Formats: sequence, structure tokens, C-alpha cells
Amino acid sequence: MNTASRGTTGSGTFTRLLEMLRPDLLRFAWWLARDRSVAEDVVQETLIRAWKSREELKDPAALRPWLFTIARREHARLFERKRLPTVDVDEVEALGDSALASDGDAALIDLRRAIMKLPDEYREPLVLQVLGGLSTAEIAMELKLTQAAVLTRLFRARNRLRTLYGLEPAEDVE
Amino acid sequence: MSVTPDACRHARLYIGADPRGLPADVTTHLEGCAACRGFRDEMQMLDGKVHAALELPLSEFRRRAPPARRFALAASVLLGVMIAGGVWMFRPASALAGEVVQHVEEEAGSWDGRQPLPPAEIAGVLRTASAQFDSPYPVVYGYPCPFRGHRVAHLVLQTPAGTMTVMLIPHEPLRRRTAISRDGMHGVLVPAGSGSVAFLMREGNVPEAMVDEIVSRVSW
Repeated sequence: MNTASRGTTGSGTFTRLLEMLRPDLLRFAWWLARDRSVAEDVVQETLIRAWKSREELKDPAALRPWLFTIARREHARLFERKRLPTVDVDEVEALGDSALASDGDAALIDLRRAIMKLPDEYREPLVLQVLGGLSTAEIAMELKLTQAAVLTRLFRARNRLRTLYGLEPAEDVE
Repeated sequence: MSVTPDACRHARLYIGADPRGLPADVTTHLEGCAACRGFRDEMQMLDGKVHAALELPLSEFRRRAPPARRFALAASVLLGVMIAGGVWMFRPASALAGEVVQHVEEEAGSWDGRQPLPPAEIAGVLRTASAQFDSPYPVVYGYPCPFRGHRVAHLVLQTPAGTMTVMLIPHEPLRRRTAISRDGMHGVLVPAGSGSVAFLMREGNVPEAMVDEIVSRVSW
């Protein structure tokens, strides 16, 4: 019997899928929180919540965006509930967070720092799109924005990163 | 400063937003606009680097949260759940037993191990699953399996009574021992401090003496 015909709710199948996606969930949570401990907490909560709600997931292909939206909401919930301090990106950078710098590629490290410094409103849709695989329509639904607003934010996010590679920023869009 | 035509502004918005998923009208525009094609090429190059940058190396994530934070989080989760009805702490053991059997069935290859695992590999499994266990029998299979949202140590032991699956489940407390008999497997769920241990065999029943000996060697 294949995965699709069994659905995603068989515990073994489901847990294996969670296991496969955990690394990207952790990366996603880090980019939201920019803090390893918080990212771990977010992922833990996400997996528990996903497990409890597994019957709600009818389409196995939708697992990835489904999990990422849970993680995003868990991150927001964690901040709201615990009133965690806002991350000071200069402090994170000054501390030389090894998650940013561990693979030793200077250009990649610079890009990570630049992404980290993007305003939340630009970084969040970018990470949802690139790591989460969400479409602009899905991001719009999740962030409660119009699709046009999501397009603009994604454009501005990438446009700000162009200068790192000696590229002139494009004319802004409205 | 040159003024960008509206068609180019429209194309660049979509290129910047999703360089690899362009709508048909933008693709058509690109066929006749070298400047926008150049912009697309630059953005696709950049996008490849953004992908690489976001793929953080996970080896850096092994450091655990500070104990105080973890304790506070665990306590708040527990309190919330208990207030919500207290059903989490003692969910029916039969449900847990069913999920253990299903997990083992879906990992059927775990029964096939014959060679004892190296101690370092066993230690890694136990560490990941937050369990301590000094097995009195050779461990021929071990994996820190995701189970009910946590990692548990899924082990298979070669005992004098036969091949025995042992799952160390630190996060599932039990009130009392519960027999398991399902789909040709027999065993028992046993309380072990704040968690539980599941035993399963395919031939015969799990000897009580072995259960007691194994549980006495488990801690969290």
C-alpha cells in the first residue's frame, strides 16, 4: 500500500515524514527567531502540534507548507506567550553566531548576515518561499496580505541583497 | 536617470519576487527585452546564493537550550495541558500500545538485525532519545525514532528468549503495566519513572524476569 492511499496519518509514515522535514524546519525557525534555543523550542512545539493535528492533513503533498505554517504560528505564539526579548541582530553578529559562520565561505556568511538584517516583513516571506516552498498565494494567505503585497516584499528582499554581489539595486516597485 | 517602462517594471517585480517561477506574460516580455533578461539572469544567480545561504549547517544546532528555559517551557506546556483536562498525562495505554505495534510493524526491518551494534552507536541513539540504558543483552538494532512528537530509543535485543523489541519512551508516563497482543506480536507496556518502556516479541511472550531486569537498567 503506498503512502498516498494510506494518507499521511499512519504513525510510522507520518513520523518518518516529520523526521525528513525536521532539518528544514529547524533552519526556518532559526531564520525567524535568529536564536538557536528558541528555534529548537519552536520546532519541538511544532512537531507536537503537528502530531496532534495529523488527521487534519489530507494531502501528503501539502505536508511541507503545512508544517512551516505551524512553525511560523508557534514562533509567534512563543513570543506572545513568553514575551521573549527582541533579537538584536548586531548583538547576534557581534557574538559571531556559529550557525551563520560555520562553513567558512566568506561570501555566504556575508549573505547570511544580510538576510538576518532584513526587516522581518521582508525576511519572513523570503524564508517561507525559499525554505518552505510556499507559493506567493500561500504566503499571502498565511501573512494575511494581498498577493501583490507579498510580491512587493519578496522583490524588495532580493533587491536589498543585490548590492552584496556588486549589482545595482533595481528601481523600487509600488 | 532613465525611466523604466511599465512593462519592464511589471516584469521586474515578478522576477524579483520569484526568479524561477515567472508567469507567462513575463516570459513573453523577456523574449523581446534584453535588459529584463539580464535582470532575470542576475536574480537567478542571486537566488541560488540565497538558497545556499538559508541552508544553515545543522551541526551548529546541537547545543541544547539552557536548562532553565527548557524546564520553564516544559512546565508551561504541562500546566496548560493539565488545565485543559488532564488527558495528556494518562492517555489510554491501549492507544499507546497500538501506536507502538504500528510503529514496529512499519519498521519491520528492525527485526532482521543479527550483528551487535557498536557501543558508540548505541550511546548515540540513547543520547538523542534522552534515555540511559545498560543493556544486559546484545543490541542488534537501534534508532532514535520520532514517536508522538518526541524521539524514543527503538532497540532490538537478542535475548535468550528470542528477538525482542524494546522502546524506551521517556515522555509517556503510565499508571500500570498493560499487556500488548496484536497482529501476532505480544508484549507489555511498563511504567518506568516519568516514562515507559514497551516490550514486544513475535514468538512467545516476553518473560517477566527480563522485563524487570531491563526496566531496572533504564533511566531518563
